[in-house]
Amino acid sequence: MIKTCAKRILVAMTAAAAIGAASTSYAEEPIRIGGIYILSGSAATYGEFAQKGINLAVDEINASGGILGRQVEMVYEDSQGKASVAIQAARKLVYSEGVDALVGLDSSGVAQGMVPTIPELQKPLIITHAATPDVTGKLCNALTYRISVNVAQNMKAAALVAAKLDATNWTTIGPDYAFGHQSWEFFGNYLKDSKPDVNLMSETNFPRFGAEDFTPFIDRVMDSDADGVLISVWGGDLVNFVRQANNRGFFEKDYELLFTVGAATEVLSALGDEMPEGVHLSTRYWYDAYDNDVNAHFVKAYIDAYGVPPSYNAEGAYAAIYAYKKAMEAAGTTDGPAVAKALSGMSMEAPNGTITFRKGDNQAMVSPNWGISGPMNAKYGIRTLTDLQIFDGEDVARSIEETGCSL
Amino acid sequence: MKIKILWALLALVIAGLIAVPWIASYFYVFIFTEILILGLFAASFNLIFGYTGMLSFGHAAFFGIGSYAMALVLIHLELPFVVSLLVSMGVSALLALVIGFFCVRLSEVYFAMLTLAFGMMVFAIAYQWRSVTNGSDGLAGFSLGSFGLGLDLTLANPAVYYHVVLAIVAIASAVLYLICRSSFGMILRAIRQNPERVSFAGLNVRTYRLVAFVIAGSFAGLAGGLIAPFLRVASPELLHWSMSAEPILMAILGGTGYFLGPFVGAAVFVLLETWITSFTESWMLVLGIILALMVIFFRKGLLGTVLDWWMEIKK
Amino acid sequence: MSGIGSALLNSLDIGLLLFIIAVGLNIVFGVLNIINFAHGALYMLGAYLAFTLINIVGMPFWAALLLAPLGVAILAVLIDRFLLRYIYSRDIGDSLLLTFALMLIINESVRMIWGSGIQVVQPPQLLAGSMDIIGSSIPTYSLFVIVMGLVLLAGLWFLFNRTRIGRIMRAAALDRDMAEVLCINTRLVVTGVFAFGAWLAAVGGVIAAPMRALDPGMGDKIIIESFIVVVIGGLGSFPGALLGAIILGLIHGFGGRYLPEVNMLLPFLGMALVLLFKPNGIMGKGAAA
Repeated sequence: MIKTCAKRILVAMTAAAAIGAASTSYAEEPIRIGGIYILSGSAATYGEFAQKGINLAVDEINASGGILGRQVEMVYEDSQGKASVAIQAARKLVYSEGVDALVGLDSSGVAQGMVPTIPELQKPLIITHAATPDVTGKLCNALTYRISVNVAQNMKAAALVAAKLDATNWTTIGPDYAFGHQSWEFFGNYLKDSKPDVNLMSETNFPRFGAEDFTPFIDRVMDSDADGVLISVWGGDLVNFVRQANNRGFFEKDYELLFTVGAATEVLSALGDEMPEGVHLSTRYWYDAYDNDVNAHFVKAYIDAYGVPPSYNAEGAYAAIYAYKKAMEAAGTTDGPAVAKALSGMSMEAPNGTITFRKGDNQAMVSPNWGISGPMNAKYGIRTLTDLQIFDGEDVARSIEETGCSL
Repeated sequence: MKIKILWALLALVIAGLIAVPWIASYFYVFIFTEILILGLFAASFNLIFGYTGMLSFGHAAFFGIGSYAMALVLIHLELPFVVSLLVSMGVSALLALVIGFFCVRLSEVYFAMLTLAFGMMVFAIAYQWRSVTNGSDGLAGFSLGSFGLGLDLTLANPAVYYHVVLAIVAIASAVLYLICRSSFGMILRAIRQNPERVSFAGLNVRTYRLVAFVIAGSFAGLAGGLIAPFLRVASPELLHWSMSAEPILMAILGGTGYFLGPFVGAAVFVLLETWITSFTESWMLVLGIILALMVIFFRKGLLGTVLDWWMEIKK
Repeated sequence: MSGIGSALLNSLDIGLLLFIIAVGLNIVFGVLNIINFAHGALYMLGAYLAFTLINIVGMPFWAALLLAPLGVAILAVLIDRFLLRYIYSRDIGDSLLLTFALMLIINESVRMIWGSGIQVVQPPQLLAGSMDIIGSSIPTYSLFVIVMGLVLLAGLWFLFNRTRIGRIMRAAALDRDMAEVLCINTRLVVTGVFAFGAWLAAVGGVIAAPMRALDPGMGDKIIIESFIVVVIGGLGSFPGALLGAIILGLIHGFGGRYLPEVNMLLPFLGMALVLLFKPNGIMGKGAAA
């Protein structure tokens, strides 16, 4: 009798414990987000900075209760700057690691290849760096969003800056892939619109991405009669380029120079005072350009954690995690398509102000920062940016028809 | 008796491969698709390396051009899958004929260097000829239409594509195996061991080498044609010398002395890579160490060492 | 015409740097019949060691130029003693494979130790800035590279033709068994030559460091360039290495300048043409099939 009773109680207790454990373990099962960035090779710092921004956001969110009461966990994969690797990485993250959402992409080429495969995975992707206009244009889909500035937006702003300068003979030095070519294409079109008498030279320069030696291209420009140069070289290449250009006396000539991603903090740190003064530099996000609570908190937290001001890649990634938090809580679930739907048209407070994902193409209406390199900031060892211009997001964006996106 | 056991094991493995979509998690469908395709690529390489004794550092040229041919055909002509694969094989066979013609006259290190040079030339062309190949960004956005041969298969379903790949790789491997076991294959092995003696026997060594080269190239092209829809992108990396190094590594890992060695090597390579990259980014370090150990101590490769031992013990 | 003038100077600059880097590969092949795939990784290691010595320890550039290559040479001795000795008597394919494995190991180790980011080494004060030559402004450091290349060439010629060590190396290259019979310790020669080749690679790395940003991928880029130099000039001939390096330098300088749409193709085309018409290289020894 007692035995059966005890056995029943034991069974009941075990069952209760199991159910209790099951329900608590479900609630404690973390939300996993997959990050696909360049983690090796000459552009590896970009991936690392994105990780820094993301980890900061994840720590903050977890400390304040997580998303939907669950902790957030990140899983990273290296895209190596190749679309095929990124696609495999996404499959691994979704099917093997079971992530609920994706962030990433440091390369326009990777984005062009990968974005069309996102709908099969049925998970949302927020792009935080890759700038090819196509992913919120002709390749757009309901699951892909971009929180960072794209080439079209940045080049429209660049053209606005260039239109006010005296230079009339423009050429470019850019990396030989989608980003370099599209930057020049969009810049040329926008500049022609506002300044029809400008001459876009047919002699252009597209060194290989990751090339070690830019001197032939530097020499070509110096020998030509260009007076304005659009430079879209980035990352380690830009560091190499500026040093070699310095050696060649490139900056002593009277060019109007527009560096489309020149104000990236990692580039400025590596170059120190080798980055010349008085050239136009742009970045997706300049840490000193925004005066709001979110930015003040973000910049301070980042400097406390890492000792240097945040780069734009860190900020974009940081904001993307918060975007997912808002979207998941609005949708009440981590189901991929539901979260994607919640992101559509969503506004949020990011370090670079109030941003909105436009319904028609899933692109955040944000503006690049353009400025002129000024004296050195002694504390951080990088150039300051003077004459900062922040454009209105709507002003520099293309119209939905122009993007070619049909959602 | 021992041989029968081995064949039974092989049958078991094949049955296992067929069953993958039902017995393993979804992710492994992708993994095994990749293993099968790279295995075929490595086996095609082994025809010229293990059997004929030529170390080529440009084999990826045929693999890559198979991919590009596939992509271009699907984008511009939208032919059925089987037809497109045949086009890929044809194109790579042609390229192998051209490149092979120049390379087979040289030996050893010079052969390796010239194949490297040609491979990188193809890479450079694909990289810089933006108007045709879309440069470093590669060709994307092609989709698979019909299968062809009157069969209606949803190739967009990864499990279906996996079975298609399995079937094609199995058939191609069987053909390749028969070639290796034929008298042609024997002559190739003789050439590897002593080219002078073969030529004294009245055979034109260069011609045999060239034929082997072309066959290997066309099967590499077939593998390339299969991988393009899997990767969704045909990009220049598929032509780079680092891609040429992969079948070399896989053949060494698995064993160049047995036909299935490269397949074993491909499986080990892909599985190790997937497993190791999930907890460290330093996969290349592990690969380097393993390769060094294999070259020094287990030159016959995994399968080679195991099979040789198996043949020894039950004497 | 300043266009051609600057392309020429640029070519010489690139060419002589490539010579310094690639000549070690050539010597190792010539004497040991080993193609050292890890040559580029050793070059990179030299550059990174210099970076640490200069930027972190605070040594002057000249001290780093002395010490970093020594460090790499010591590593090479260890590699030879513990790894290469196994495959030394096997065929050349195995040395390619083992040194390839070594390349993977060293590349990844560099990445793990120094990180994936870009590092920058400044040229020494003495060599910073630029000078005016033939109407073009050429960086002083580039002139330094050219001078160093020629000094190295002279030094190597003297070593091989006028010293006992050089004669021993040439003997071992011609006929190893015979050399042993003559009481030459070939094992020592092998280790010595391999270490010497690594030392040269590292010297190239230290000299290249102020000109290029350092990143863990730099070894991969240079190994192919080195192969091209060595093939064009002739495997096993070090004057050939100079010629090959200058030709490659010219291809880069003029190709990059005047034919940018095909400039990637040209070095490999050059390599292929040499292998097709003169497989020994323009000045080398060796054998065709």
